[in-house]
Amino acid sequence: MALGGIIRGKRATLRTPTEDDLAAYSRWMADMRVRRVCAPWHQPAMPATWKERLTEQAKDQKGVLWSIEADGRVIGLVRARVGGIESGPNAHLQHFILDPEEWRKGYGWDAALALHRYFFDYLDLKRVSTELRADNTAALRIAEKLGYTEFGRGHQVHYRDGGYVDESWVLMERAVWDERFGTSEREYVPFGAAR
Amino acid sequence: MFGPRIVGENGIELRPPVIEDYKIFVTWQLQPEVTRFWGPRFSTDTAANAEERFKRHLESKDSVTWSIAYQGETVGMTGIFDINWTDRDGETGIFIGRHDLYGKGIASEAVRLRMAFIWNELHFHRTHNWIALANRGSWRANQKSGYSQIGTYPRSWYRSGEWFDEWLGEAFPGTFPADMLPSPWRPEKHPK
Repeated sequence: MALGGIIRGKRATLRTPTEDDLAAYSRWMADMRVRRVCAPWHQPAMPATWKERLTEQAKDQKGVLWSIEADGRVIGLVRARVGGIESGPNAHLQHFILDPEEWRKGYGWDAALALHRYFFDYLDLKRVSTELRADNTAALRIAEKLGYTEFGRGHQVHYRDGGYVDESWVLMERAVWDERFGTSEREYVPFGAAR
Repeated sequence: MFGPRIVGENGIELRPPVIEDYKIFVTWQLQPEVTRFWGPRFSTDTAANAEERFKRHLESKDSVTWSIAYQGETVGMTGIFDINWTDRDGETGIFIGRHDLYGKGIASEAVRLRMAFIWNELHFHRTHNWIALANRGSWRANQKSGYSQIGTYPRSWYRSGEWFDEWLGEAFPGTFPADMLPSPWRPEKHPK
């Protein structure tokens, strides 16, 4: 756990974060476009503080952090909590942040699909959940396409831009993944077929 | 931070925790009666590290913690945690460790005192919580002080062959029943 390994999508790759990524992280967290649609992963800070945060993240027993890369440049980050002793193996997506300059290019969907393939096809998780701001239409669209459904809605949860916005709580069950992507999205060729 | 002393009815009060309370909390977390809808029944908390946890909670800037006392004796804890000062929102929680005292209305009174403090002293906009749906006493205690259900998280807890859903609730200052406002926010004198 702690720092994630490589998960390949068709156009984007989730990979282990490095110190070279941290300047981009800090820039995104200071970007009001990012902060409008989701909570930042830490506040903007000096490089030394970001290095400390990455060091701390590497020790984290519950959360996994990936950088998202496309065409040789870092374009986002993902952070998920993986566990679930009480309610079965599950993950909770805490941060999924894309560089605003890379929005509307399909990277979000590609990275999200690859990440969920890792959750269900590799880790054999039973459920993934997350919270989304109710006006983050791009994220809601990706969640719906993956198979998430809303199980709760917090009213007037987040304050920004002079007002409050609701929060949608969504989850995706393993059965939905199997139905929609179970045959088409495999990380490895089935072992028997490869021999 | 720790919350101040707030005196309620029927011998129930919220008070700032003391180090002895933290030693008792550890033992409660490990009992089957108390953990039916709370926690995994194992913990890294010990009596030996109670002082460290006590200090951490005391110095925390994103939580307010109280001990719940019944007839002068600590019987549980409550508070608001993961406070977001920008959203003015936080997650409330309550834990009655003395299972022999369940059903006496201790949780309802503790929630009433806690919520009155949150709305009238912290100037919060909203609070929220998650409670096992089968733990009716707990979510009913919250309902009485203005919580309402906003969702159901399916299959959250597995106990003895059954899955239990979770009750998701939220409350706002305007949902707190005005006639339930405790002292000292009512005109009468605060009890000694």
